[in-house]
Amino acid sequence: MEPLTWTGAVGAFLNPIFAIIVGLFVIALIVQLVLGLFAPAMTLQANPDGTLAGRGGALGATETAGKYLFLAVIALILVYVIAPLILPYGMVGIIGEMSQRFLPVWIALIVTFTLSIIYRRKLGLYGKLFDSTVGMIGFGIVMFWVFTAVFVGLFDWIATHDYLTQVSGLKNKTPGVPVPEGTVGDIPHYLLGGDNLARDIFSRVVSGSTFVIAIAPLATIFAFMVGITLGLPAGYYGGLLDTVLSFLANLILAFPVILLFYLLVTPEIVQTGIPSYMAAFLFVFPLVFFGVLLNSRYYTQPAKRTAILVPVLGILGWLYLSIINQKGTVIDFLPAWMDLFDITILVVFVSVVFVNAPTVFRIVRGLTLDLRTRDYVAAAQTRGEGAWYIMLWEILPNARGPLIVDFCLRIGYTTILLGTLGFFGLGLSSESPDWGSTINEGRKLLLIFVHPALPPAVALLSLVLGLNLLADGLREESLKD
Amino acid sequence: MTDQPILEIDKLSISFFTRLREIPAVMDFSATVMPGEALGLVGESGCGKSTVALGVMQDLGVNGRIVGGSIKFKGRDLCAMTPEELRDIRGSEIAMIYQEPMASLNPAMKIGKQLMEVPMIHEGVSEKEAYARALEVVTDVKLPDPERMLKSYPHQLSGGQQQRIVIAMALMSKPSLLILDEPTTALDVTVEAAVVELVKDLGKKYGTSMLFISHNLGLVLETCDRICVMYSGEAVERGSIEDVFDEMQHPYTQALFRSIPLPGADKNARPLVAIPGNFPLPHERPDGCNFGPRCDYFEAGRCDAGFIPMEPVPGNDRHQSRCLKFQEIDWNAPLQASETTEKPEPGPVVLKMDNLKKYYEVAANALFGGGDKKVVKANETLSFEARESETLAIVGESGCGKSTFAKVLMGLETATEGQILLDNQSIGDTAIESRDTKTVADIQMVFQNPFDTLNPSMTVGRQIMRALEIFGVGVNDTERRDRMLQLLDLVKLPRAFADRMPRQLSGGQKQRVGIARAFAGDARIVVADEPVSALDVSVQAAVTDLLMEIQREHKTTLLFISHDLSIVRYLSDRVMVMYLGHVVELGSTDQVFSPPYHPYTEALLSAVPIADTSVKKKHIVLEGDIPSAMNPPSGCPFQTRCGWKSKVAGGLCEKEVPPVRMLAEGHQIKCHLSDADLSDMEPVIQIAAE
Ligand SMILES: Nc1ncnc2c1ncn2[C@@H]1O[C@H](COP(=O)(O)OP(=O)(O)O)[C@@H](O)[C@H]1O
Ligand code: SF4
Ligand code: SF4
Ligand SMILES: [Mg+2]
Repeated sequence: MEPLTWTGAVGAFLNPIFAIIVGLFVIALIVQLVLGLFAPAMTLQANPDGTLAGRGGALGATETAGKYLFLAVIALILVYVIAPLILPYGMVGIIGEMSQRFLPVWIALIVTFTLSIIYRRKLGLYGKLFDSTVGMIGFGIVMFWVFTAVFVGLFDWIATHDYLTQVSGLKNKTPGVPVPEGTVGDIPHYLLGGDNLARDIFSRVVSGSTFVIAIAPLATIFAFMVGITLGLPAGYYGGLLDTVLSFLANLILAFPVILLFYLLVTPEIVQTGIPSYMAAFLFVFPLVFFGVLLNSRYYTQPAKRTAILVPVLGILGWLYLSIINQKGTVIDFLPAWMDLFDITILVVFVSVVFVNAPTVFRIVRGLTLDLRTRDYVAAAQTRGEGAWYIMLWEILPNARGPLIVDFCLRIGYTTILLGTLGFFGLGLSSESPDWGSTINEGRKLLLIFVHPALPPAVALLSLVLGLNLLADGLREESLKD
Repeated sequence: MTDQPILEIDKLSISFFTRLREIPAVMDFSATVMPGEALGLVGESGCGKSTVALGVMQDLGVNGRIVGGSIKFKGRDLCAMTPEELRDIRGSEIAMIYQEPMASLNPAMKIGKQLMEVPMIHEGVSEKEAYARALEVVTDVKLPDPERMLKSYPHQLSGGQQQRIVIAMALMSKPSLLILDEPTTALDVTVEAAVVELVKDLGKKYGTSMLFISHNLGLVLETCDRICVMYSGEAVERGSIEDVFDEMQHPYTQALFRSIPLPGADKNARPLVAIPGNFPLPHERPDGCNFGPRCDYFEAGRCDAGFIPMEPVPGNDRHQSRCLKFQEIDWNAPLQASETTEKPEPGPVVLKMDNLKKYYEVAANALFGGGDKKVVKANETLSFEARESETLAIVGESGCGKSTFAKVLMGLETATEGQILLDNQSIGDTAIESRDTKTVADIQMVFQNPFDTLNPSMTVGRQIMRALEIFGVGVNDTERRDRMLQLLDLVKLPRAFADRMPRQLSGGQKQRVGIARAFAGDARIVVADEPVSALDVSVQAAVTDLLMEIQREHKTTLLFISHDLSIVRYLSDRVMVMYLGHVVELGSTDQVFSPPYHPYTEALLSAVPIADTSVKKKHIVLEGDIPSAMNPPSGCPFQTRCGWKSKVAGGLCEKEVPPVRMLAEGHQIKCHLSDADLSDMEPVIQIAAE
């Protein structure tokens, strides 16, 4: 087999066009910037139907030109993405083949966006997201990785080869290298080349997404449960409780994160059982959270309460025990048939929750301090509601705006944390395809071969960027009413 | 006086542009302000008053634009000016004062410096001269100790003092036009009265023309020469104060006057007439007359046919009305006698306060608690009784202890001393957690701020159902849902509202839901904390009437907390006046509203603006602000502001807290004044013979 070039045969004639249009677009942007310095201040012009019209003049002309050029760039990119679907294998090169591999993701994205945009007026804050360009871009990037992770993780689509198989002769080979006859795999090339153990980089990167997409939101949810369960009473009651909890939170925040991780994964420390006890402590919060949430709501109707509370707490309790119960650690008392699963990366999980919870705590506490003075809180007090009902049902739902925004940002932060952990090889197996570990592997030969380290780095960067844009979009839209 | 108007607004239309639609906020608005004249702009919130002001300031933000008409200032078209010219005019010839004083002050800069900047920037005067000018205006706005004022930061002053500083700042550049957008809404009545008095005097002294924006007809009567009534983006009536108040020519103006409690209104014999329906949103305005759907004189096919112009009223000077039928309507026709009701007999005593005291201990030093503790006496020896189906009004300005009293009664705080007896059972020491459901359900509260009283993330129905659950009403959800729907009927809201979110409701509707929630457990005592003060006048009447009606049906005891004496006089049976934690006067409504008064009651009465040209008020302006409860004055709490103090011999007022004296059966006051002095008091409000 021939090695694949980046854009293949189609590229030979598409690439020059692409270059020219991009060049023009950049020039238009620069002209617009320069003109913008001299142009008169923006004045509003209304169309007869009451919408706003654009402005005229030289500036207006470049603005329009820029807009069309931008559309042309997008259209060309689409050609690169769509062409491989109709053209035979290899015609559009590496880019075309990658796009072809991501086909299920494209379809899923298009369906999601179409449905969301059609029904956006009925979807509350989520729907409003589609009014903001920034938010839509962020959401698009995030969902790209979410769908990738789902399809790789559940159906084993997208990845071209097994991410652990080493194929002799492909060590550190550049992108587009053909694999030897008879190698197991969906296509006869390593799209993004091979790493220093001769494994397929493309498959490793897409498989790595499952790790991040599964762990980061889950760990963040746990951190939120802890932060909310402690932050609400701190803000609501104030006083000594607040002082003590705030002090503890600051203490944890003042501790260098990396040092903390190193400590937690040190075998001696693991031996003492500290991580297991921490897990037992931290993971009990969701149990407490849901227990109190439902009880405060339904305690006036004991029968209904019991009917709801028992199954919920039963299932959560079982999950809880399964999580903290690990063979060979200090907490190992469940009979094997009851232990649903063992989380191999429990330590990573614990660390991430531990360092994120204090920040969430502080945000929730601040919001509570503000919201507890509202009249509807006073109204709840005067009809004799319990403190937890007020905190969880009257205050928390109204703090949701800032919390959702922070949730997105925090997943991004957790993603970086996970990358860092992988990079230092903390708590993860050396074979793990997660992006941090892959970057670290690639780093070793970075001066000679750039291609193994770059794809996971770009993947990590794009996901975090997407999450930040999403958070920005949400913030912007939640401020408008 | 020249004949050229200072401000001439001609057929002005202003729109805001949003992603969804154009919002016409002001349409076809014309007004003229002559030199030295004060024009009042009244209307409900959202009718476009502020937009007119911002249009004059040419400060409409990015999405607002003048879409028609012109604004001329001293003959020059403001819309045609360059940004530089505008900036110049805004700083020196037109000044604006906003509702929130802090919005105009820089919190990080000393007041003197902020004041001096004005002439230094606009006129380039020397620092020394600027200081002299600053000192002069601060003296003019009657602030105590002007030199020290100049050295302080804005947050060190009270709200009333801040607003005076803002006025001083506006006056620094000697503007020829002053725009005041609800300048006193955030202030207490007595402070408001003083600020209004000040604005009036300064207008005379400096010859400044004024555009005075307010929702309060009484205030406009006291400050302005001419008035313009706005409704839903349009001016509907315009003319001199006398013409509009006494010979109104527009159904909306008439409805407005009928819905506010003027002296003489009575909840049983002459109830207020609420304006039916709701204010239309700018994009939901009807065809033809905007007021059509709520107008008593509406004539289909005529009033909804098309644009209605402003027409002059023959015989009056510059008096105009935007109504097709104003010449046909008989404006003197007596009000259709609406249902009168029997005054219910007060039943047995349900609530009794006995020497109730509530003290708070606060650390004098916030950073290092402990050490010195200061005692704030929020409530001092409160004693009174409230009977079944009686309305007891509790009157006083902010910080006088009304809210503390409500908290103790509700059980959110426990009393320091004394007793609260509910049906002869003491509940003053029982916090709400330890009260039984029945007691909790019996005493409920209606809150002041409609935008805050409902949980924004729960449907209206759910919130009422929750109250029912807590009070143990109904055995299952179906029963509770039925009961909830009945409660919505009770407060005259459509049943469909059960599934709405609070943000889809108007202020008055939210307040109704608040009332329904309070009556969920068949409350016997309802504490209403300024339940209508945040609502528009036209809605106030409807909510007040609703409260009265439910009270009559349920024989509820209503404790009505308010600072608005007009509404208190209208609906209460007995009145309790509080000042700095003390009950200074308590008696039946007639006793409290006629002499002899407690000096504080007298001042309060004189401070309340009354929208009736035939009312003559005695003029009492209180000096200074309410002292802080942390640092109450010695002796009589009111002695720092009392105008009668000199009549009491031997400085007794400064030495001793006056004892409670019975003046008549059920009428008590706390004052050292002799009986002779008390009986010399003249009535504050007199209605001139018609
Ligand atoms: N910046 C804005 N964008 C969109 N609509 C606005 C804006 N400012 C005011 N409006 C609308 O214009 C109308 C008039 O408002 P306003 O002048 O503030 O009334 P008022 O001062 O009488 O309370 C209202 O319906 C309001 O919602
Ligand atoms: S025009 Fe018709 S609807 Fe409008 S105020 Fe006059 S009578 Fe009423
Ligand atoms: S006791 Fe003296 S200071 Fe107090 S209100 Fe009476 S006259 Fe005024
Ligand atoms: Mg306004």
